[in-house]
Amino acid sequence: MSESLDEFRARARAWLQANVPHHAAPMEGPESRDYALAWQKRQYEGGWAGLTWPQAYGGREASVLQQIAWFEEYARANAPSTHNACFVGTNHAGPTLIACGTDEQKSFHLPRIMKGEVIWCQGFSEPNTGSDLASLRTKGVVEGDELVVNGQKIWSSYADIADYQELLLRTDPDSARHHGLSWVICKMDTPGITVRPIKTMAGPAKFAEVFYDNVRIPLSNVVGGLNNGWKTAMSTLGFERGTASLALQISLGQRVEELIAANKDVALAETLMDLRADAAALRAMSYQFAVKSETGPVGSEGSMIRLYFAELAQRVAKASIEIFGIAAPNVLEEHGLGFDYFDAYSETIAGGTAEIQRNIIAERVLGLPRGSR
Amino acid sequence: MSHAVQFDLSEDQSAILGGLEQLIGTLNIEAPKDPVVSAYSQPLDDELTTGGFFEITQSEGFGLLDGALIVEALAKLPVSVEAAASILIAPSFLEDAGRRPVALVSGSAAAPARFLPMAKTLLVDKGDDVLRIDIPEGAVEDVETLFAYPYGRLKNPGALPAVSLGAGRVAELRRRWRMAIAVEAAGLMQSALDTVLEHVKTRQQFGRPIGSFQAVQHRLVMAAEQGQATRWLALRAAWSDSEADAAIAATYAQDATPKFCNDLHQFCGAMGLTLEFPLHHWTYRLRALLGEMGGSSGSALAAADAVWAGKVP
Repeated sequence: MSESLDEFRARARAWLQANVPHHAAPMEGPESRDYALAWQKRQYEGGWAGLTWPQAYGGREASVLQQIAWFEEYARANAPSTHNACFVGTNHAGPTLIACGTDEQKSFHLPRIMKGEVIWCQGFSEPNTGSDLASLRTKGVVEGDELVVNGQKIWSSYADIADYQELLLRTDPDSARHHGLSWVICKMDTPGITVRPIKTMAGPAKFAEVFYDNVRIPLSNVVGGLNNGWKTAMSTLGFERGTASLALQISLGQRVEELIAANKDVALAETLMDLRADAAALRAMSYQFAVKSETGPVGSEGSMIRLYFAELAQRVAKASIEIFGIAAPNVLEEHGLGFDYFDAYSETIAGGTAEIQRNIIAERVLGLPRGSR
Repeated sequence: MSHAVQFDLSEDQSAILGGLEQLIGTLNIEAPKDPVVSAYSQPLDDELTTGGFFEITQSEGFGLLDGALIVEALAKLPVSVEAAASILIAPSFLEDAGRRPVALVSGSAAAPARFLPMAKTLLVDKGDDVLRIDIPEGAVEDVETLFAYPYGRLKNPGALPAVSLGAGRVAELRRRWRMAIAVEAAGLMQSALDTVLEHVKTRQQFGRPIGSFQAVQHRLVMAAEQGQATRWLALRAAWSDSEADAAIAATYAQDATPKFCNDLHQFCGAMGLTLEFPLHHWTYRLRALLGEMGGSSGSALAAADAVWAGKVP
């Protein structure tokens, strides 16, 4: 007999209660790697990793409603943020390999990601290539059965502790814009790679700059075909703007509920209820989008949800710090609400700035004419 | 009109600000090279002391407005120095002007306070009293924060003698503190905005400076308006020394800054979120200021109280 949703939820709750780590996740360095991998491994061994992945690759193929139930319980149990060092592997690289990888690439990498054995990072942005990703210049030149890579990437979160990088390169030197790019699996211990961590204003050195000096990568590491990298990359970005954020969206809703429960003060009623309304609206939009995504391809509405989430996350961080006060221990402490506040600035920048999201929404959802870029 | 409204700097004010600029120039103050959260400039503090800048409001022919202009100018620097409390608050609360830097705290003397690590005096707003506590060497422990001011807390607040200045001083302390918040915010906003304007003029995406996109321009124009509004409200508060003006200026500054800071960081992209980009030297401090004295809602209540009580100039 198949398990009912209630039974699934009860099983998830019981497992999380018994398994969620009691100490907070380290924010950077080898400790953050060990912590993220151990948590991923524990979820895998408990049968909870890869909920969205196909069974053929060790996933659970859970229904969207099951995913929602899992992430609701996950947030309620105060489990480690899914936006940790394993995020790129489980939410970008893994799904990209599932969509575009060869059988060999899939059978090698997917189990390692799933079992919590490897950390992946992203190598898309460059110092002069942010919102305008198609202008990237780091190049890969084909020499025999290898690509020789030279250039520089930046904002590569966790690159200093990663085993692999999803690397977007210009492999056709005569190409322009989004033509002639390739999406490549880059092993981070390959000779010629230098990683420089960058301190963020929220405290930890989560970001990194990566330099490539004649780095040789086998052509067999190209995913989705040589010079076809834009299409491969878009499958990743589309995922980031869509259901991959479900866990984060649900976790934000939980934060709002906790803020409300901890501050039963009439003077704060309007602020708190405004946040609750926003959180409820976000929940409705993201659940509707997730359910829709189960039955077929979804459009650019994901950008709307991503944007709504990003701006609400900033409002929640702002309200939290104001409610508790600037000198409160939970604001000042390491990884406290002060950290959250500054960290939330990145919500409207990472994974496509709010301005780019608005362009996408205006053109593809509202059907407005494309403006000049 | 015999009493023309005067918005330009007087000769004396220009001379003092010119002198300050010269002093800052000789110290060659730049944004710290290494990524640091906070940087207190003791050399600047020493030079300002020698130059008598902390005593300007007691000098013949000068007052709070002149002091405010100095506080504003100092806030524009990418390093911090305790000037606002020393110039705008201390003269009427300290018997010995040399007992600065001055830290301020609301509620409990045990709470963390800006500048406490180097402070010689702590003023405590108890609600029904103002306490003055002399800080001996070694009485303070540092508190690590992300707010770009040195923060500290008293290790053993009960052990230090506190002088009660009386309930009658609470309103004055709050008025000056709110004035100080607004004045300092005005300087911080100006430098933060200048930094971002420079960035969006030079940073190219899609083949053109990002500052040429209307979505960017419009929000930076709004930020500029907020900066200007904060400045004039703050200077008015310093000119009138009225409770309503000070509370209104603080309300505006504290209400405007979250959006202001968000927009400014947004247009510097990921680089603007790092300690390698100077913007945080000002936005960290703005964030700290907007949480003081009950934040914008506390300041708005104080403003309403002053306005409804008829304490309006």
